[in-house]
Amino acid sequence: MTNSLNDIRHAKSMIFIGSNAPEAHPISMQHILYAKEKNNAPIIVVDPRRTKLAAKGTDYVRIRPGTDAAFMLGLINAIVTNGWEDKEFIRTRVSGYEEMVAVAKDYTPEEVENITGIPASETLRIAELLANNRPTSLTWCMGGTQHHIGSSITRTFCILQLVLGNMGKSGGGTNIFRGHDNVQGATDMGILADTLPAYYGLAEGSWKHWCKVWDVDYEWIAGRFKSKEDMSKPGFTLARWYEGVLGEEKIYQDTPIKALVQWGCGSNSNSQYTRVKRAYDKLDLLVIVDPFPTMAAVACETDNVYLLPSASQYETSGSVSSTSRQIQWRNKVVDPVHNCKDDYQIMELLVKKLGFAEPFYKNIKQLPEDITRELGKGSLTIGYNGQTPERIKLHMENWHTFDVDTLQAIGGPCDGEYYGLPWPCWTEEHPGTPILYDVSKSVAKGGLPFRNRFGDEMKYEASGRVENQLAAKGVCNPGSEVEGGYSEFKDVVPGTNWKTDLSQKTIKDAIARGMAPFGNARARCVVWNFPDQVPIHREPLHTPRPDLIAKYPTFKDKPDHFRVDTRFESEQKPDLVKEFPYVITTGRMVEHMGAGAETRSNQYLAELQPEMYAEINPRLANDLGIRDGSMMTVESPEGAKITVKAFHTERVDEKTIFLPYHFAGILQGKSYADKYPEGTAPYVVGEVGNAVTNYGYDIITQIQATKDGLCKIAKA
Amino acid sequence: MARSKMKTSSHAGTTSGSRVTLNPKVARRSFLKLSAATAALTGVAMTAKMTTKAQAADKKEPYPGSQTVRTICTYCAVGCGIEAEVHNGVWVRQEIAADHPVSYGGHCCKGAGAIDMVTSPKRLKNPMKKVNGKWTNLTWDQAINEIGDKMLAMREKDGPDSLMFLGSAKVSNEMAYQHRKFAAFWGSNNVDHQARI
Repeated sequence: MTNSLNDIRHAKSMIFIGSNAPEAHPISMQHILYAKEKNNAPIIVVDPRRTKLAAKGTDYVRIRPGTDAAFMLGLINAIVTNGWEDKEFIRTRVSGYEEMVAVAKDYTPEEVENITGIPASETLRIAELLANNRPTSLTWCMGGTQHHIGSSITRTFCILQLVLGNMGKSGGGTNIFRGHDNVQGATDMGILADTLPAYYGLAEGSWKHWCKVWDVDYEWIAGRFKSKEDMSKPGFTLARWYEGVLGEEKIYQDTPIKALVQWGCGSNSNSQYTRVKRAYDKLDLLVIVDPFPTMAAVACETDNVYLLPSASQYETSGSVSSTSRQIQWRNKVVDPVHNCKDDYQIMELLVKKLGFAEPFYKNIKQLPEDITRELGKGSLTIGYNGQTPERIKLHMENWHTFDVDTLQAIGGPCDGEYYGLPWPCWTEEHPGTPILYDVSKSVAKGGLPFRNRFGDEMKYEASGRVENQLAAKGVCNPGSEVEGGYSEFKDVVPGTNWKTDLSQKTIKDAIARGMAPFGNARARCVVWNFPDQVPIHREPLHTPRPDLIAKYPTFKDKPDHFRVDTRFESEQKPDLVKEFPYVITTGRMVEHMGAGAETRSNQYLAELQPEMYAEINPRLANDLGIRDGSMMTVESPEGAKITVKAFHTERVDEKTIFLPYHFAGILQGKSYADKYPEGTAPYVVGEVGNAVTNYGYDIITQIQATKDGLCKIAKA
Repeated sequence: MARSKMKTSSHAGTTSGSRVTLNPKVARRSFLKLSAATAALTGVAMTAKMTTKAQAADKKEPYPGSQTVRTICTYCAVGCGIEAEVHNGVWVRQEIAADHPVSYGGHCCKGAGAIDMVTSPKRLKNPMKKVNGKWTNLTWDQAINEIGDKMLAMREKDGPDSLMFLGSAKVSNEMAYQHRKFAAFWGSNNVDHQARI
């Protein structure tokens, strides 16, 4: 999120694509509705479903699942055609613009209508609405990302905001609402198969940087791996780890996966869940660390499973990063209940048993504060170094001194600082960065230009044009020594750069000179290391519009994609729609969270939402003889079939079936409720929606495509 | 019996009379004030950081001397404030955080029931493993020793990549960081979490 939830209060318009805040982020609504009431700001909701947010919105645009990129490119084309783009912003702060426009021009309103189902007049009307109501706050969630072209779709969102000049401005920005309470922090901390903490990646230099932070010998860490080469090779992901177990697809490591530790991670969020279940049964060892038994505890029907009862997060303490990049200290309310232990204690027991406690805890004597200090010391790329435990706790103690409109403390011990010291917080004196890429403030006071990350100059393949990637003359933060673009800082301390200089002298020097440590560059419309350098539409793998495959085909199959092959071209079967004529999409409900192990074990929430269901349009349902409240089956092309209650609603159109994904405990009609440890079965069990979500993964991130598959349905 | 209270989707068409999970007369406001089942939380020491004394008039009774802990909701990434009332080491009530700069006194139905995360009878209570298909309690020492021995044997025989480690978006930054650090020290990049999907 470039801005913050509170900053949406300053928006003059808002557009939400694949985001349903009243269900997924309910309390953000007070800021959204404030902007609607106070600024008369339109709320434009782009979604295949008429969601609760659409009900609160001013403009609802129904879109065919998986065609978001086409609509965005259509909006960009309409804006540029009418001369509504922010010419000065583009001239000074954007690169690859001409190459992008050359691609977007094919997305005429009529073509967009053909792809997305959105009337041509609506594309023009929404484009004009955005042009006349700047700045726009743009938000997406999993509805924008869970597609085989998710990484392209999200780029079109960013490009739209660049074209409108809405970046780096209060009330504007690309404001992705993150899901779980600390998914921002856990991402920042790099629990990811392709990077070390703070997005350092897996290159040798990255390992050496973190080894310095950990104060361990690089050669010792290297010796823990199979080989040095293996250290730089991304691992299996959450989306497809089970392929490493099943042995049904070609894998790219010497051994199958035989053991799984699943720690605070519900299992039925995974698509292709019937395959996931089979993988659990094949494991030699499954260790689940969780306050509640997850679906994995019962899906695994062998004896190879251990449950370790971790305390809830109210029984421990530590910092958490909100969607607004604010870091808050979650104080411990009570000690761990029952025979539970908190996460730190469990980790310590495990690390001691496995024999590497001495190097692992070298800098860590006081838990968890010494860990906060260690992670901050190394996480310079994203400026987690200024938020000391003492500062974070001081903000918590004084949260009442922060202004709701600016998030800045008015007086008191945090005077002038932004709530939660939103990262990057470059030094222990820095107030935090409330809005990313905002050149109206000095860097020392929370301003920033765009980051210089991809060299100073680039020749584009498509056009042959060479372009300087640094910001234009005259564009910089107030007080900047260089009045215009500049490269990232390096060799202030010889042999290091701003990311690797652990003394932080480089960062401090840059800020003293009024400049950003990471340089001052342009935001890119052309990403030369992606398969689609400028994002385009590609038809979903399982498409209800096979006539569009020829013009908008998917990618070639991708070998060794996080250690397993991913099918694209060979999976895009034009005839599939004949047998599976309906689009299946998934989402959240306010009463449950994620895989639902916690909320389905909460007596109040269980009472509010006790049952799995499928949303179906009444016309479709009546045509098929499926009565409201009766049972229906939903079957995927992969052969999984679930039986759920039909819920007639015009939220969905006649071609779309919606499933909430929070339910578990029943898989393909078989109940696992009696397999939980005695007394721990959740109050509510229901069919796993993800049993029938289809095959499909993003070509860059491998996120699963759960929003645009196909299914067939029948009366049960 | 918990099982008799379970509502499954195979019970289609049943009337609301079968929804027996809790007393429907319990109104939302009362639910906020519901006191926890103290019996389930015996003898826990009070180590939490206390920030302010409970002040609201309706909090004076029945928990004299209780203290309020400012903490953060564990559900979504909005990051709402929660004021937890703690009495003799037991979380007894929760209040909205009216002056939290983001949530500003707002709570959704999940956050309003945060206390249930601690008091839910459905919590796992002991380390367990399955023996001949039956769940069996273990001590922590037994559990860690057995798991550790199996992991070490597997590492010896099949190498570090035979382990997949799925960490969490529901733990603190400090713990998330340790999840990644653990994989590094174990010697594999087979590590990931919810943000991937």
